[in-house]
Amino acid sequence: MAKDSRHSQMLRGVLDLCLLAVLDEGPAYGYEMTRRLRDRGLASVGEGSIYPLLGRLEREGLVETYRAASNGGPPRKYYRPSHAGRLALALGVSEWRAARDAIDAVLVQVKIEVAS
Amino acid sequence: MSDFVEQWRAELKRLGVPESIAEEMAADLGADIREAEADGISAEELLGSSASDPRAFAASWATERGLVQIRPDQATRRRGRLPLAAFTAVAAIALIVAAVLLATGEPKVALVTSGARPPHIPGSNASFVPPPGRVQASAAAPIEWILLFLALMALAFSGWLWRWRRGRSQLPIAPAQ
Repeated sequence: MAKDSRHSQMLRGVLDLCLLAVLDEGPAYGYEMTRRLRDRGLASVGEGSIYPLLGRLEREGLVETYRAASNGGPPRKYYRPSHAGRLALALGVSEWRAARDAIDAVLVQVKIEVAS
Repeated sequence: MSDFVEQWRAELKRLGVPESIAEEMAADLGADIREAEADGISAEELLGSSASDPRAFAASWATERGLVQIRPDQATRRRGRLPLAAFTAVAAIALIVAAVLLATGEPKVALVTSGARPPHIPGSNASFVPPPGRVQASAAAPIEWILLFLALMALAFSGWLWRWRRGRSQLPIAPAQ
């Protein structure tokens, strides 16, 4: 339970970066983003988290939207990073790497492992 | 899942999200759910924990999109819930205590508790004498009835407060745009 909570909290802090990153690969609608995240192992991220976050990114001008027909389906709302969004992604990734390296430098000292 | 989408849409309507935008959001969500199900992913898996709370999901989405505004006093009102709950609990306990006292007759509360004989009143035929040491019920000081009355008043007041709070929380929130 505590493990799930920590995982959720860590993810919450960088989910906007993850969304901007998958959108940087190409425009996508809601479910397509979910699929891209799942393909990279983030299966626990539901649309209940994604859509509100996309709403915030849209409000902050970090993503642009347009409507277009999907493959054989109804027209969908596609998202893509704006110029400001790409800058925010670059800055966020830099911050993430710095934080990850600092944390790794601390945790690398730990010799304890979970018994399987 | 259609029930989920219905509740979700109802919440958007209650929040004052313009119909055309709500339609668009519902269309996107519905299309996602259908596509996920075609991929063998249930709606519950797709939505995560939000699957059990369509209203919160709708409010969160609309708020983050800037379609509705969160009133600044909402957090304050949430904090005020605990004292009100405590007040209601105390009133309920007082009501129960008063009811038990009235039902069992024990302990009776009186102003005079000594075992001494009551003073003789000339011309009076009063013959009841309470046993020594026993607390006498007194019509002049019906503590149980006063407690019952106060508890009922307190419960009525707290009930009114709860309804007032609920009414305020269900007021439509003005669209931000």
